[in-house]
Amino acid sequence: MSNGQPTPFPGQSDKIVQVENLSKKYGDNVAVNGISFSLTKGEVFAFLGPNGAGKTTTVEILECLRNPTGGQAKVLGYDVSKRSDQAEIRKRIGVLPQDFNAIDRLTVRENINYFGAMFKHQLDADKLIELVDLKDKRDEQFKKLSGGLKQRVGLAVSLVNDPDVVFLDEPTTGLDPRARRDVWGVVERLRSQGKTVFLTTHYMDEAEYLADIVSIIDHGQIIASGTPDQLIDTHGGKKTLIIRDAGEEGLKQLPTGLPKAELRNAGDIAIPLNNGELTNILMSLGQTPLHDKEIEVRRPTLDDVFLNLTGRRVSEEGN
Amino acid sequence: MTYFSTLPVVESRRRETRMSRIITIINGHFKSWYRSKSNIFWTIAFPLLLIVLFGAIFGSGSTKFDLYVQNQDLSGNTPTYLSGQYVSALSNTTAFNLHMVAAEQTNPLSYVKDDAQLHNRGQRLLVIPLGFQTVLNTTHQAKIQLYMDQTDQASASLAGIVNAATVSYAAHLSPTTDNVNVQQVGIVTKNIRYIDFFIPGVIGMTLLTTGVFGAVNTNGRYRELKIIKKLATTPLSKLEWILGMVGYQMILATISLVVILFFGYAIFGVTATIDIYTVGLVVAAALLFPGIGMVLANFVKEAESADAAANAITFPMMFLAGTFWPRETLPDIMKIIANFMPLTYVNDGLRDALIYAEPAQALTNTIIALGLAAFFIVLGSLLMNWKEE
Ligand SMILES: Nc1ncnc2c1ncn2[C@@H]1O[C@H](COP(=O)(O)OP(=O)(O)OP(=O)(O)O)[C@@H](O)[C@H]1O
Ligand SMILES: [Mg+2]
Repeated sequence: MSNGQPTPFPGQSDKIVQVENLSKKYGDNVAVNGISFSLTKGEVFAFLGPNGAGKTTTVEILECLRNPTGGQAKVLGYDVSKRSDQAEIRKRIGVLPQDFNAIDRLTVRENINYFGAMFKHQLDADKLIELVDLKDKRDEQFKKLSGGLKQRVGLAVSLVNDPDVVFLDEPTTGLDPRARRDVWGVVERLRSQGKTVFLTTHYMDEAEYLADIVSIIDHGQIIASGTPDQLIDTHGGKKTLIIRDAGEEGLKQLPTGLPKAELRNAGDIAIPLNNGELTNILMSLGQTPLHDKEIEVRRPTLDDVFLNLTGRRVSEEGN
Repeated sequence: MTYFSTLPVVESRRRETRMSRIITIINGHFKSWYRSKSNIFWTIAFPLLLIVLFGAIFGSGSTKFDLYVQNQDLSGNTPTYLSGQYVSALSNTTAFNLHMVAAEQTNPLSYVKDDAQLHNRGQRLLVIPLGFQTVLNTTHQAKIQLYMDQTDQASASLAGIVNAATVSYAAHLSPTTDNVNVQQVGIVTKNIRYIDFFIPGVIGMTLLTTGVFGAVNTNGRYRELKIIKKLATTPLSKLEWILGMVGYQMILATISLVVILFFGYAIFGVTATIDIYTVGLVVAAALLFPGIGMVLANFVKEAESADAAANAITFPMMFLAGTFWPRETLPDIMKIIANFMPLTYVNDGLRDALIYAEPAQALTNTIIALGLAAFFIVLGSLLMNWKEE
């Protein structure tokens, strides 16, 4: 029974997205394997995982673009598997598909109005253009814009119906660092205005920087969830003391009795830190020629979380 | 809790949705079309260029009147003396380009129709009947038949010159009697020249290419760009999307038709009648060719290969379906293949409707074209994945 009325899970009416034991198989390939999670109103939620982890599959099930093969998913209280509910979901969600491009020969403003016209109500195009900082490009054709600006048009388009939840599938993949920062800026603005955002990414720093809640997905399964701090505390492992540019020679100069050090990147020495050991180690280092090297204490990041959980790292390209 | 409090939700626009969605799609396609120089070239400039080119190649540059002459009055294999004299008399007026039709031609009118079309000539035939010389020598009452269309702009002056030449020839034979009589026989040829034949073909060709390539572009490329995916997450339905595309194609088809016909009239004096069949054929073409393009775009997923496939289909179809030359000139096997080319029925129908004024044939071709259109647009729509890939 839907009658166009949302049917929330009992006692969880502020849940914008509610996924239980969701699965998707393509033939024998299990792309999503029994995942559960939920999104609360006003939250920025990041789905973090490498290529082929099942991010797009999950998001597109929530967007009613693909049918799940198992489990249940509700968006804004509506069931993604019910036809009549799907119509309601489509009115209320904002979507930026992975690798989205708007229409080449329409201008920024025309594109916003084009996609806006698909809905009964749309936000004012000029205000959206302001939100994504494209004021001086508003009458420029889409195809003439740089990659970063194109992505901002995509963001504006995904907001055009004033959605209750916005799905951004890898919004910064392939962008240069500056353009990535710009996109982050827009997402931060959305957060500050209370929008609920579901974003997928394979950039660890992006999830850490933007998300209130991160779920790490790998091979179709959620392997950890929580705030970035929680994840780092639980799965990040020890802090590390880094001695920059010390090289092989530096290794030999280390005082004895330290935890096992290793050489990283371009000759950095990394020493895992147990709680309370820092002062002692620094003091013993002071006796060696290493004392005038650059020394820093590094907190674990989501990279370390992922490494510890899976034994792999994710490359820039997401592999 | 007010979402997006800094954004003016109150300024949001209200609209009647279904129709406005379709119009938005038509509008988007149309803007994308006229903002692309290459689109304008292929849908407008290229057809006009072809018309000028083919018109110049096949058009006769001379200001003389074309006149086909069949001299049936042979003795053995050579014209009789008097009939030969008569042909010379016509020739001496220097007003005609005489084209001789072999006496064995049993259906000279149909021969003239084809040949005149092919060479972009006026369709007029003068027949000197068998026994011309005998009759002149005995009863002095010979008859010549002049087949001509009353609507032929040249008919009056041409008949005048033929008559004058005949009178002077007759006077030369015998000054006192009026012994050779020119009978004018009206024929409804609409005096079809090559250019008249060619122009509906160019329209058919333009509808074919804009339809097939337009659909490949909007259903193949838009899929690659994730525009279709994005639209599928909005309230827009697949049917509305297809209606929008077809509506756009109809507008484009109408523009092509009007521009080409106007151009044909202005440069070559091609007069066409736009009737209900023309409308039916344009509607059919705007469904049929995008339908074929949609089928292609769904079988060949990558937009670039779909483009290549569209080329591979449209080019042979253009030639086989009698766009540039009458199909009669094709080898038999090609004629058979042509029967399976949807463009054949659009081309023929457009010729019947616009130029030949043959409503019965136009109706048949329109019905076949509409049937094919229904088949392909439904097939293309069923094959198209709106949501899951
Ligand atoms: N339409 C499909 N048909 C068959 N298999 C698919 C389809 N879409 C995705 N897959 C497979 O499902 C798995 C998950 O793919 P998905 O696109 O969801 O991953 P992703 O996390 O979004 O990856 P990426 O970072 O590359 O976008 C992959 O193994 C992929 O090959
Ligand atoms: Mg993906």
